[in-house]
Amino acid sequence: MRILLVEDDAEVARFVRKGLMEAGHTVEHAVNGRDGLFMAASEQFDVLVLDRMLPGGVDGVRLVETLRGQGNRTPVLFLSALNAVDERVKGLKAGGDDYLTKPFAFAELLARVEALGRRPAAEVPTTRLKVADLELDLLSRTVTRGGKKIDVQPREFRLLEHLMRHAGQVVTRTMLLEKVWDYHFDPQTNVIDVHVSRLRHKLDKGFEKPLIHTVRNAGYMIRAD
Amino acid sequence: MLRPGLVVLSMVVFPLAEPASTENPLRVTTDSSAYCLELASRFAGQPGATAEPVRSLAEEGQRLCENGHVRTGIAKLRRALRASQQAGG
Amino acid sequence: MVLWWNTAGALDRQVEAAIRADATALQERRRAGDIAALVAAVEDRLAVDVQNEALYLLLTAEGRRLAGNLSTWPTEANAESPWIRIPLQRDGAVSEARLLRVDLGDGHRLLVGRDVAEKLRLRGLLSEGIAWAASASAALAVLGAWLLRRALENRLRPIYRTAAAIGTGDLTRRVPLSERGDEFDKLGATMNAMLDRIAQLMEGVRGVSDAIAHDLRTPIARARAKLEEALVSAQDEEALRAAVEQGIADLDGIARVFKAVLRIAEVEAGARRAAFAPIDLAPVLTDMAELYGASAEAQDQHLEAELDETLPLVGDRDLLAQAVVNLLDNALKFTPEGGTVRLAAHRLDDVLEIAVADDGPGMPPADRQRAGERFFRADSARTTPGSGLGLSLVRAVATLHGGEVALSDTHPGAERPGLTVTLRLPAS
Repeated sequence: MRILLVEDDAEVARFVRKGLMEAGHTVEHAVNGRDGLFMAASEQFDVLVLDRMLPGGVDGVRLVETLRGQGNRTPVLFLSALNAVDERVKGLKAGGDDYLTKPFAFAELLARVEALGRRPAAEVPTTRLKVADLELDLLSRTVTRGGKKIDVQPREFRLLEHLMRHAGQVVTRTMLLEKVWDYHFDPQTNVIDVHVSRLRHKLDKGFEKPLIHTVRNAGYMIRAD
Repeated sequence: MLRPGLVVLSMVVFPLAEPASTENPLRVTTDSSAYCLELASRFAGQPGATAEPVRSLAEEGQRLCENGHVRTGIAKLRRALRASQQAGG
Repeated sequence: MVLWWNTAGALDRQVEAAIRADATALQERRRAGDIAALVAAVEDRLAVDVQNEALYLLLTAEGRRLAGNLSTWPTEANAESPWIRIPLQRDGAVSEARLLRVDLGDGHRLLVGRDVAEKLRLRGLLSEGIAWAASASAALAVLGAWLLRRALENRLRPIYRTAAAIGTGDLTRRVPLSERGDEFDKLGATMNAMLDRIAQLMEGVRGVSDAIAHDLRTPIARARAKLEEALVSAQDEEALRAAVEQGIADLDGIARVFKAVLRIAEVEAGARRAAFAPIDLAPVLTDMAELYGASAEAQDQHLEAELDETLPLVGDRDLLAQAVVNLLDNALKFTPEGGTVRLAAHRLDDVLEIAVADDGPGMPPADRQRAGERFFRADSARTTPGSGLGLSLVRAVATLHGGEVALSDTHPGAERPGLTVTLRLPAS
């Protein structure tokens, strides 16, 4: 993916850039809002990673508002040292798609960037999701693996759906709480792990190959091999 | 803080000090012993001139006039005159 | 001034009215008889003028004097206006005459007037009186203002002094109150209440810094020690990697505590009201019960939920969820295997009661007082992991919503009484 990083802190920028490049992405970097806006408006990017507070008169929120005003729909992830919930709401209202508070784990950033960049095209309605021999029917809300029906609870179904929509990508615990449960707070304990392991137990029981993988220090990923 | 008081005072005093021309001073001619005598004779001609207490009032006025207290005398005589007129109807 | 104007004016008008009446009467007399009758009338009037004020002068057309007591016909009397004011010589003193020229229509000239010296004297007296009264009242006003100001200053001085002392940093000062209970005491009492609140907040800030110093320094020191030890004595790359990972995990934990402290401060400052909206708490609690139910089951505990169908209130959904999660987290932590945690929520009139009850060891009443202070952890809980911030956040969230938190025994009198935390929030 081609990613634009607008971040004035040199150390954070270096660390994020290096990490994203190691993950196989191309990264352009701007150190202030004005340059960032210029690059974002004149070139094609898959994801924009913006610091909320930027020097140069154009802060993250203004940048996104301007881009959205020009009809540019590139997904935007905000980085911010501002913990206040109001700030998150402000960022998302301005047209941001996700919000991450500093300090953050790089794995969390990477997972969110990849989720944003590979968002399924909303125009194509999917009724079936398939990973290896696991199938999810969104209409009848049934799960089958190798043709065998698996009973899951509604929440587990949504959990699985989210994982399968992002098959091959890392999904973090916080992302799951946000997307599957729709709450924005720090889960602190291993509540999400318990739900995932219960789902995994149901899916992998009687099958040799596990489908839901734990990514160390990051989260979970569903993939075929 | 006393200034408003002064302003009030000066405005009140000012109208008293109105100057007027004095080239040909106007005088009152009835403040004289001649007028005193005129009043006395006028009183004597009144019908109730002998009745008391107006008679002694007029006499006192005349005496005052003779002693030089013209204005007081005239005042007494006038009072006597008025009293006698009222008594006479 | 108005009084003076009215009285002085009235005096003038009175004189003028008397002159005008006299003049009219004389004009009538002239009209009724011949000039001799007018002469007699003037002489009669002069003869009985006890006040010695009347002034007349009747002249023939040629200027011959017929009657009256004025020495000459003043030139001023020939002016256009019939009214004249003119100085009058009398016994060597100067007086003032107010005269009216009366038109008799037959060539005879008549002046009717009054000596107004007496009226002027009266007016002077009056003016003087008013001037004195005005000066006296002005002086009284000045004195009164000065006294009032001094009294105000005296009453406000303690308040100034306190404010000044506070301004220079002495927060222990309070406004001394008198027994009177007047407006100044009310002001003082309000200021004192405000100062108490400020002191309390300062105490809170000091508490946070103390707690940060105490409870964050330990994990930071521990993480640092571990990393240093690994740097010095790690045998291979594998061990070094493990140590770094452990260090990152430790740092994440510290960051999390920090975040919690900041969030509590944010909530306590009331800054989170922006996200308030009318919500139904019932589905939120159902979600939380479901979210934590799995963890409970995994630890062989039971999580039972007993909720009303709807629990409407105005509030911040995420904060309330976080508060309930903190309570569930705590309850599950202290409940033994096979034990039960009960989440109950009911509407009682205007209040929503959300109770989380556990089967744990409970909390001695002495500790309950302190529970909810930041970083406070009962001695019995020292061995269990946790930052000790959970209940402070719950308390802060409750306060933000205009509610309260109460702690009680789940099974009063039992050997393991358990702990029930009840959140009472105003319903909408």
